[in-house]
Amino acid sequence: MSAGFFRLGRFRVDLLAVLPFLLLILMWRTLPSLTGMPEYMFPTIGAVWDKAVELTANGQLQDNILDSLGRLFLAFLIGNALAVPIGIAIALNRSASDFLRPVLTFLQSIAGVAWVPLAVIWFGIGMGSVVFVIANTIFFSTLYNTVAGVESIPKVLHRAVRSHGGRGWALYSELILPGAFVNILLGLRIAMARGWHALVGAEMIAGSNGLGYMTMEAVQWYQSSTIVLGILCIGCLWLAMDQLIFRPLERRTVVRWGMVRQ
Amino acid sequence: MSAKTKISVVDLRMEYVDENRGIRHIATDGLTLDVKENEFLCVVGPSGCGKSTLLSAIAGFLKPRGGTVSMDGRPILEPGADRGVVFQEYALLPWKTVLENVGLGLKLRGVAKAERDAVAMRFLDITNLTHAAEKYPHELSGGMKQRAAVARTLANKPEVMLMDEPFAAVDAQTRLTLQEELVRIWDENRLTVLFITHSVEEAVFLGDRIIVLTPGPGKVRAVVDVPIPRDQRHWATINANPQFVAIRDRTLALVRGLEAA
Ligand SMILES: Nc1ncnc2c1ncn2[C@@H]1O[C@H](COP(=O)(O)OP(=O)(O)OP(=O)(O)O)[C@@H](O)[C@H]1O
Ligand SMILES: [Mg+2]
Repeated sequence: MSAGFFRLGRFRVDLLAVLPFLLLILMWRTLPSLTGMPEYMFPTIGAVWDKAVELTANGQLQDNILDSLGRLFLAFLIGNALAVPIGIAIALNRSASDFLRPVLTFLQSIAGVAWVPLAVIWFGIGMGSVVFVIANTIFFSTLYNTVAGVESIPKVLHRAVRSHGGRGWALYSELILPGAFVNILLGLRIAMARGWHALVGAEMIAGSNGLGYMTMEAVQWYQSSTIVLGILCIGCLWLAMDQLIFRPLERRTVVRWGMVRQ
Repeated sequence: MSAKTKISVVDLRMEYVDENRGIRHIATDGLTLDVKENEFLCVVGPSGCGKSTLLSAIAGFLKPRGGTVSMDGRPILEPGADRGVVFQEYALLPWKTVLENVGLGLKLRGVAKAERDAVAMRFLDITNLTHAAEKYPHELSGGMKQRAAVARTLANKPEVMLMDEPFAAVDAQTRLTLQEELVRIWDENRLTVLFITHSVEEAVFLGDRIIVLTPGPGKVRAVVDVPIPRDQRHWATINANPQFVAIRDRTLALVRGLEAA
C-alpha cells in the first residue's frame, strides 16, 4: 500500500515515508524565526550544513562516525554471540533456566548506562568502557527475544522434525534457529536500536571520541550546530541500517515464510 | 496379509500429570492391541478417549506409565524416522518450501541436495503437488498442506505411518480424493499404517481392521474386520456395497456403545 515511489539508484523510496521528513525540515526552517529563538539555542539549517562541511573537510566527522560504528558492531557481535546460545539454553533446558533466569533478571535491571561508572573504573575512559556498556545492553535485548522465540516454536514442529529423524545439531539448524528467527530478528533490531542509545549515552560520559562524545563536548562551547549535526548523524545512520540491513533481511526471511505480515 | 506383528501395545497406561496443580489424568489404561505388518489399521473412538495419546506413545513422543509399546519386539523409547507421523495440524516447517519440507527426512539423513530434490519431486508427483514445489506452506490450501505432509512422511520411507485424523481439517470433497489417493499409495508402497479418525465411514473405507476404543480412559471395546477387497474401495460405488453398509452400521453402534462387542 503506497501512494507512489521514486527510485534512488537501486533503492525504492516511498513518497509517503518521505513526507514526514519534509515536514520536519519545514518546521525547522520556520519555527525558530516565528518563535524568536536565538541561534545559539537552535541552529539554522544553513549553520548545521556549514558545520557539516567544516567537520567533513577536516575529517573529524568521518572519524567520529567510524569510531562509533566500530564500537557498535563490536558490541553487537559480542552481545549477540553470548545472548543467542544462552537464550536457547534457557528456553530448552529446565536446569539452565533455573540456574540463569533469576540472576539474569537481577542483572537486567542494571543493564545499560548504569554500568558506566564501574566500567570506567575497570576499563578507563574510552573504547573498552563504551563497548562493555553497549554489549551489555544488546545482550539483554537479544536474550529475552531469543528465549521467547524458542519457546514459541509449536510442540508439533518439534515432534515433526524428531519423527523425521532429527536429532543433535540438526535440531538447531533445521528447527530451533529458523523457528525462533522471527523473534531473534526482532530482538536484533531492538538490540541495535538500544545499542545506539547506549552508545551515545556511554560516549557522552565515558568516551574520548565518537558521535556521542562529539555532541557532549560541543556543549562546553555552545556549539549548537555541532550538537544538532550529531543528532542528525545518529538518526540517519540508524535509519540507513534499518532500511538497508534489517528490512531486507526481514523481507527475505520471515515475511517470505509467512511468519509475519507486512 | 502377513500375520507378523509390527507394533505391539500391551496393557498400556498413559497419564498426564500436572505438577503445578497436582492433578493426574489417566488417558488410557489397560490398552492392548497389535498392528500387523503391512496392514492398514484404523482406530476410532469417542473424543477424548485417548487416540492421540496412543499415537504419541507409539511415535515415542510420550512415555508409558505402565505396560509396553514395542516395534519388531524392541521397546519404543524415542521418536525415530522408522515411524513417520502425519499430524492433524500438518506441521510443515514454515521456513522451508514444499520441496524442502518433503526432502526434510532425507536431509536429516545426510542425503545430498540433488538426490533428495529428485526423490521429493517424485513424491510431489504422487500427491499432485508438482506445481507447488517452490511455494511456502502459508501459500497452500488446507488440502495441499495435507498432501504435502503425507508426501513428506512417505518420502522418508518409514516402516510405519502413524496418521492422526489427517483429513479432518479439509473439505468433504478433498477428503474423498485424499482417501482414495491414500489407499492407492498404501497399496503400492506396502506400508504399515495406523490411522486415527473420528469418522467411522472413513475407517471402514480405509481399514483392513478397525479398533474401537471405549470412552476414556481408553481400552479396546471391539476389533472389526473389514474384508472388502481393495479394488472395490471407490467412493462412487462403495455406498451401494451391502458389506460396507453392514460393517459401517455395526461399527457405528459399537462406537456409540449401543452394541456389545
Ligand atoms: N497435554 C495434556 N495434558 C493433560 N491432559 C491431556 C493432555 N492431552 C490430552 N489430555 C487428556 O487425555 C485424554 C485423551 O486425550 P487424547 O488427545 O488422546 O484424546 P483423543 O481420543 O485423541 O480425542 P480427539 O478425538 O478429540 O482428538 C483426554 O481426556 C484429554 O483431556
Ligand atoms: Mg486426538
